[in-house]
Amino acid sequence: MSLDVIARPGGSAASHARPMSEPLRGWRAMVGFVLRRNWLRLSVWTLALVAMIPLVFESQRAAFPTPADRQAYAAVANTPTVAALTGVPYAADTLGGILVIKIWMTIAVALAFAASFLITRNGRAEEEEGRTELLRSSVLGLHAYTVAGYLVIGTFVVAVGALIALVATAVGLPAAGSVPLGGSFAGVGLFFVGVSAVVGQLASTSRSANAMAAVAIAVAFILRAVGDLNGSGDQAGWISWLSPIGWAQHMRPFGENLWWPLALLIGGGVALCWLALALEGRRDVGAGLVPDRPGPSYAGRFVSSPFGLALRLERASLAGWFAAALAMAVLYGSVAIAMADLIGSNSPLAAMLGIEAAAVMDTMLALLVMLVALVAAAFAVQSAIQLRTEEATGRAELQLSGGISRSGWAAQRLALPALGSGLILAVGGFVMGAAYGVARGDASPAYELAGAALAYWPGILVTIGVVIVAIGFVPRLAIALSWAWFALMAILSVFGELFSLPRWLIDHTPITATPRLPAADLALWPLILLSVIAVLLWAVGLRRFAIRDLQPGA
Amino acid sequence: MSASPAAIEIVGLHKSFGRHVALNGLDLCVEAGQIAGFLGPNGSGKSTTIKILLALLRADGGRIRLLGQDPWSDAVALHRRIAYVPGDVSLWPNLTGGQAIGIVSRLRGGLRRERLAALLERFELDPTKKARAYSKGNRQKVALVAALASDAELLILDEPTSGLDPLMEATFEACIRELKADGRSVLLSSHIFAEVENLCDTVTIIRQGRTVESGTLADLRHLHRTTISVELAGPIDDLAAVPGVHDLVIDGRHCTFTASDPELNGILAELSRRQATGLVASPPSLEDLFLRHYAAPDDVPAAARVPVR
Repeated sequence: MSLDVIARPGGSAASHARPMSEPLRGWRAMVGFVLRRNWLRLSVWTLALVAMIPLVFESQRAAFPTPADRQAYAAVANTPTVAALTGVPYAADTLGGILVIKIWMTIAVALAFAASFLITRNGRAEEEEGRTELLRSSVLGLHAYTVAGYLVIGTFVVAVGALIALVATAVGLPAAGSVPLGGSFAGVGLFFVGVSAVVGQLASTSRSANAMAAVAIAVAFILRAVGDLNGSGDQAGWISWLSPIGWAQHMRPFGENLWWPLALLIGGGVALCWLALALEGRRDVGAGLVPDRPGPSYAGRFVSSPFGLALRLERASLAGWFAAALAMAVLYGSVAIAMADLIGSNSPLAAMLGIEAAAVMDTMLALLVMLVALVAAAFAVQSAIQLRTEEATGRAELQLSGGISRSGWAAQRLALPALGSGLILAVGGFVMGAAYGVARGDASPAYELAGAALAYWPGILVTIGVVIVAIGFVPRLAIALSWAWFALMAILSVFGELFSLPRWLIDHTPITATPRLPAADLALWPLILLSVIAVLLWAVGLRRFAIRDLQPGA
Repeated sequence: MSASPAAIEIVGLHKSFGRHVALNGLDLCVEAGQIAGFLGPNGSGKSTTIKILLALLRADGGRIRLLGQDPWSDAVALHRRIAYVPGDVSLWPNLTGGQAIGIVSRLRGGLRRERLAALLERFELDPTKKARAYSKGNRQKVALVAALASDAELLILDEPTSGLDPLMEATFEACIRELKADGRSVLLSSHIFAEVENLCDTVTIIRQGRTVESGTLADLRHLHRTTISVELAGPIDDLAAVPGVHDLVIDGRHCTFTASDPELNGILAELSRRQATGLVASPPSLEDLFLRHYAAPDDVPAAARVPVR
């Protein structure tokens, strides 16, 4: 390696931030490095996201085979539930429009998360582990590694958009709509590459970087949901313009097919990446922009218990999931009000529903409660998996060399996901019911929906049980398996029917086996059965964890 | 002293990970109140042994007594009497060093706060800093200070000073001597020979999961040859023929050779007959002993190379 980079005095001497020449030196090699580390992840994400298009397209073509079917659907498609969850329907009498209603929001949000997680993984997480330090100590420009990450992940989101455009055209949708469809996804992805690039500079740990990106995505989602709820006809309200996800929606693929909102997304993404690089030039490797303050010089009694420690370590994530559940609950509560108004009005929908209005209302509430349950389950999985993280880092060894049994330690740590998920369910259901009940001047929905949400608790305990068994028997795979398990459950319970998956599979996850209150009757035996399975899984998993060798290392 | 059981007693310990044999009949003994050095090349099984003692790994075979009890089935009760410093200390990045000390100590059964304060000062450790800001050495100090501030009867230290600077190393040695004066026992795994020679009453050297040497340092030295360097005025040529003289190198009037203890007397008589004008005798250093095992070929059985006491 030559030393000319170091020796050359010119170039950026004028830069007050950090005089260093050739800040991009070595970026090509870094692109190769990032690709080598991420090719599998990138392939899996691409495949999973693109495959949704043909799956959903086929199921919708089967559901609405004739133009008359689509006309009938279009007449009733514009409900507050659809507006809040997926956006104001437009062109609902075409297969393209129906495809957008059914899957656009899911793919857009998933791609935003994928872009954020990948940027963090190749940026802040690397720095946290000290690997960036190693790389940058060689002849490598200040921004080379970072820029390589942006380029690879940016190319990934564009590729997902391009493939979706191709696949949509291939299944027979008009190209004039398929191309803006792909463009709208790529635009959302690029914008959140920029967002996660900036939070990766602000945060000093990968966990907080991911949490900040998730909050940004949630805010973007909620803003557009409020906009879509307050729209008129097939146009969203102005609030939707405050959200980058809203910008992408305004491209209206298969409708007006507008291109100019894409400029906002690309421009925003590039500007944010630029800002991130400027921030990177001003700080030290390994540091965030916010310096650490000194903390307590000794641990209190509560923090020293495994349960207290779990609560202390996960308090930020617990608060985050709680905030997510509460935001959802308030939003969905107001969706329920709007839905009730619609059913009570003289719209064609109300006429069609007629006497079944109450049942429709309950079905919708049941769906919304289940979404709160999925948030609680996500928290439970993330929290339970910390058991393995403690083991992998070697911190478990330090604690277990103390006077506490393995099963006692693990049980105390696992009390947090168990109790925390129960609390999220109860509070989430209660707040949703309260938000809905306030409009009717009736307090009973609050208790009713709190109960409906709590019915998911045994199912969530089973979910945690599966994580414990994975940690007990296959510790090195446990983290990946646990998230795959959660993803499978979420996909089956939310999209099972949309993807035309087999009924026996859809109905037998811990979430879907739970009676969907208040739409379904309260059947006790599934809850008892789930409780028994949970006890068995916990017992087997904890027993195995107590007698096996500890296995530190990833 | 004879009434209390040995702090650690291991006979014929076996442990495999899948097909890889990590420990293959390891023996280790630490008498109560003693400081025992535990040496071996990387990957020889030191950390595995220590983790079995702490019930973090489960032994496949062998007899182990820890403070007279079974390390696996009596783990919880035993751990209140033991303090452990891992070789690679990993802390919670968001918590301070002081919080980590508190958490580890409370699980262990408490520590003396005034002793902790004194140790923090001696090791120049700021307990209010977040762990992510600590260097490797400072993370190690956190675990070390927590262990030294405890009332543990037995300290198990896995390369505790590998990240410390020489000044801190001296502080560490002073602390360990104070522990010994208190009558507590220490198992010290280390790569630093000076540290082991300064501190340890006994030494156990292992290789490929098996004990190859163990005993007091004096015993071990006795088994090995002393290096003698001498200036002779008299005849030199026939020195090689003197019984007990090995590895002879002659440079003018200056000779260097090794000699085992039993023949030493005869050799000294021969040297004085040849009018020795200057003599330096250096006992085998721990490093010499250790390097012999490093360099030893794998296929020679350990017993054939070096007599085990």
